Amino acid sequence: MAIYLDYAATTPIDPRVAARMSECLGAAGEHGNPSSLHHDFGRRARKQVEVARAQVAAMVGATPDCIVWTSGATESDNLALFGAARYHANRGRHLVSVKTEHKAVLDPLKQLEREGFQVTLLKPEDSGLVTPEQLSAALRPDTILVSLMHANNEIGVLQDVGAAGAICRARGVLLHVDAAQSAGKVPIDVQAMNIDLLSITAHKLYGPKGIGALYVRRQPPVGLQPLFFGGGQELGIRSGTLPTHQIVGFGTACEVAQQDQAEDTARITRLRERLWQGIAPLGGIEINGVGAPRLCNILNLCFHDVEGESLQYGLRELAVSAGSACSSGSAEGSYVLRALGRTDQQALSSLRFSLGRFTTEQDIDFAIGEIRREVTRLRALQPRAAS
Amino acid sequence: MAGSEASYNALVQEHFRAPRNTPCHPAGPDVVAGEAGRESDGVRYRLTARLCGPRFDEVRFEAYGCPHAIAAASLLTEQVGGSDIAAAAQWTWQSVSCALAVPAEKRGRLLILEDALRSLIAAARSGTLDEALGRPHP
Repeated sequence: MAIYLDYAATTPIDPRVAARMSECLGAAGEHGNPSSLHHDFGRRARKQVEVARAQVAAMVGATPDCIVWTSGATESDNLALFGAARYHANRGRHLVSVKTEHKAVLDPLKQLEREGFQVTLLKPEDSGLVTPEQLSAALRPDTILVSLMHANNEIGVLQDVGAAGAICRARGVLLHVDAAQSAGKVPIDVQAMNIDLLSITAHKLYGPKGIGALYVRRQPPVGLQPLFFGGGQELGIRSGTLPTHQIVGFGTACEVAQQDQAEDTARITRLRERLWQGIAPLGGIEINGVGAPRLCNILNLCFHDVEGESLQYGLRELAVSAGSACSSGSAEGSYVLRALGRTDQQALSSLRFSLGRFTTEQDIDFAIGEIRREVTRLRALQPRAAS
Repeated sequence: MAGSEASYNALVQEHFRAPRNTPCHPAGPDVVAGEAGRESDGVRYRLTARLCGPRFDEVRFEAYGCPHAIAAASLLTEQVGGSDIAAAAQWTWQSVSCALAVPAEKRGRLLILEDALRSLIAAARSGTLDEALGRPHP
């Protein structure tokens, strides 16, 4: 059985979350439609949905009425971008984002360009960070929205969204933050950070797949055009029957994440450092995104003098990612790493190790052994200069 | 997905895990070398052979490349090692592509291996000619 070091792709469900979901799905659980408030089954389900809404809101410093349930971060990103751009199109048609955003942001932006919007994509520094000065300079009188990911999914670099929020608020521009990777791992306060829209998902923080949320500022209201029309759930912003058991799982996952954040961060940081110290002596390995604040659980490494596909196959006992999980299999190097100045070959020879709550020292020591063996073997196989 | 077990057949897996005839020979009076490819193109080969008259006594390799590329070079050294240079000159990329089930998009890498062999054969022919003319190896 391979060692799982791909927590940035998705996490296993925490047993505490699974237990609550099982209760919800059991015979005595909340099977009623949370919108059927005229009977007790529906009211019981609604109660659980609202408990979860408060749990999710608490994790990001929001009030519960600002949380809109979605199917995950991709839908949240789509709702934020299409919803805000279309609603505010009469104010302006210019949007700003970053080249290293997730495809769930970049692809909707491409579609908005086809609909007549103009998009400016900022190129981050080699560290992966966008400076406040870059952002300020990109804003125009017709800019209506900035979309900035909090933690990059490939390299884990944390953008200063608080600084971005202050700039956007002062200029009357909406700020959307994709916090799929960072939520539950680092403190987020949407009020203090002046965030107007925030995408989060359960499956990156030990909750179930298929459920996410969009924080939508209510005071003053942001204004969003819905993507879905139907039952008018979620105040008409996102129609569709609410999946009570998934919402309960998401809420529990957020509560656990808040409770365990300090302990998880300390332990995972220690394990990541152990991994790095174990393989750095091999030499010729660079951290992608070095010099910037990063999530504690991601270590994205560029292995010089090793061909990427062979390295990935050689390390098949480790479940890791080359590039992002959504796009791996591509013959091109990660667009994120190339935006940071890596060549195609360097990007292809980079691997993302992402640790999590259930990673053990034994896992890390096994990984160190595998990496040392395979990198040494593949480097020995390389053509040397003629002697 | 690249890098998964399903991407490579059993022969590729075997040669990748235990490549034959590596590393290259140290330089010597009866050793010739050929090279092709660039790391920036995703594949680079170095082949060396110990010459025994008009024959490759032993062919060895070093490679930077994907598992298919490494397995192809390993298999090549088995196929042309011990053969006459003239017979080795008949080797083409098709000699390994079927056995290794190399995907179409990677066949360019086999052509680079073929180039490395051509380079080795050219060096060998130049060497044997020198020998016939009583000149030292280049």
